[in-house]
Amino acid sequence: MKKNMKVLIEFFRACMVEELEYRTNFFGNMLTSLFWIVIAVLTVDVFFNQTNQLGGWSYYEVLVLLGVFNTINGFIEFALRQNMARIVDHIRKGTLDYVLTKPVDSQFFVSFRHLVFWRLADIFWGCALIVYALAKLGRWPSVLDFVLFLILLLAAMVLVYSIWMILMTTSFWFVKIENLSFIFSSFFETTRFPVQVYKGWLRILLTFILPAAFMTSVPSAALTGKWDVATTVIALLVALGFFVVSRVFWKVALKSYTSASS
Amino acid sequence: MLNKYFALIRMKWVEMFEYRAESVIWILGALTQPLVTLAVWLGVSDGGEIQGFSPNHFILYFACLIFVERMTTAWDVWDLDREIRQGTFSFPLLRPLHPIHWGIAENIVYKVFFLSILLPIWIVAAFFIEPLRLALSPLEWVAFLIAVLFGLAIRFLMGWCVGLLGFWVSRVVAIYSVVEGISLFFSGRIAPLSIMPPTIQKIGEILPFSYILYFPVEILMGGVTLERLVTGMIGQVVWIGILYGVFHFLWKAGLKAYSAAGG
Repeated sequence: MKKNMKVLIEFFRACMVEELEYRTNFFGNMLTSLFWIVIAVLTVDVFFNQTNQLGGWSYYEVLVLLGVFNTINGFIEFALRQNMARIVDHIRKGTLDYVLTKPVDSQFFVSFRHLVFWRLADIFWGCALIVYALAKLGRWPSVLDFVLFLILLLAAMVLVYSIWMILMTTSFWFVKIENLSFIFSSFFETTRFPVQVYKGWLRILLTFILPAAFMTSVPSAALTGKWDVATTVIALLVALGFFVVSRVFWKVALKSYTSASS
Repeated sequence: MLNKYFALIRMKWVEMFEYRAESVIWILGALTQPLVTLAVWLGVSDGGEIQGFSPNHFILYFACLIFVERMTTAWDVWDLDREIRQGTFSFPLLRPLHPIHWGIAENIVYKVFFLSILLPIWIVAAFFIEPLRLALSPLEWVAFLIAVLFGLAIRFLMGWCVGLLGFWVSRVVAIYSVVEGISLFFSGRIAPLSIMPPTIQKIGEILPFSYILYFPVEILMGGVTLERLVTGMIGQVVWIGILYGVFHFLWKAGLKAYSAAGG
């Protein structure tokens, strides 16, 4: 664990040096990120032009959720997307061999080697939107709400990571499937709105089969004080479960891995 | 000219077939945003009507939207950006045909491919989903066909105009994504324009975006008035004229800038 932390800091440093080469882009990136969050808020406005609630969530509650969505999306773009895209490359070109010979955990290495710093802008604006929406709601979360929110947010990120990792690991067998990331992104789009918006079988699908509900709806509900113990425990168990599966799946996949050249 | 086009199309057809798996995924990926939006609208309407839009209307609307969106999509801005930035744009320039013809040929090939996938899906879906059964008059079908072609022309020219800015600036893809972001509201992608606030509708009638998607969708949904048909087509033709003029100007000016940079 301690070694992994050290390695992670090294990844951080290496990527930061790379990023600083292009620091003039910083301002443009901040603006691009702000532009998209404004577009997202305006989209919500269009719906609230016709209604005063989405699946039982008020306007500012939906904005809190949108902030959480943007934050998690920022985390995805910052830490995951680049790395996940490279896993398929590693496997297809056989460069995974080099990773395997390194004295660090291979799953850890392929997951976090490349960080895209400017995407932290999404997290920044996401948090800003959360604070704004909470202020407008006029009800600040209690310490317990906030702690629960942080735990559930972490669980959501673990869940996002695990599902994506499981998807990418299938490329050990189906090397030709490109755009696996794409399948994940499409699924993640559904978490832009409270899961209660979806009706009938779609909500059942997004809660019990594909755990979209635990990614944005559950953490946001904690922040607005609408959490309950059962949901929280289930969210943590689901995240833990998916993480263990991704871990085991990676190990199994490695056993069947026979480089590209041999 | 026709012979040359056949040759171009055959070439692009072979090229596309190499990447058909990606093309299918490309179609699937374009489904999420409209389907999520549809689901939210169905949730909002909750079985009732929103300004004359029943749940069935919403289903038909977004199905039409997905279809027209795919049939009018344009991707030249990414190719132009890459080729101009890396300098490989010199190769298409050396060929005897104007590079835009390669773009047009590629477009024809992909649109035929999209159609061959989307049409059977629609027909099968119509068996199960009642609102998808269309009952248009022959005149409406012809009008729809023309409106989609015009919409495609507007979007295609818009892509080329933004792409050609690459002769002067390096972030045309960012510019294009801003245009796309703004177009979300005026093209009818978030909601039918008729249920948008009046100001948005007014601005939407002036901007080109509603002529790309919303207008053809309106025709495909049926029951469009003759007056609307005429004004819509006039709007489309005007925008094609404007964009063609801009394209022509940018091309002339851009080539000068490009050769200056290269020489």
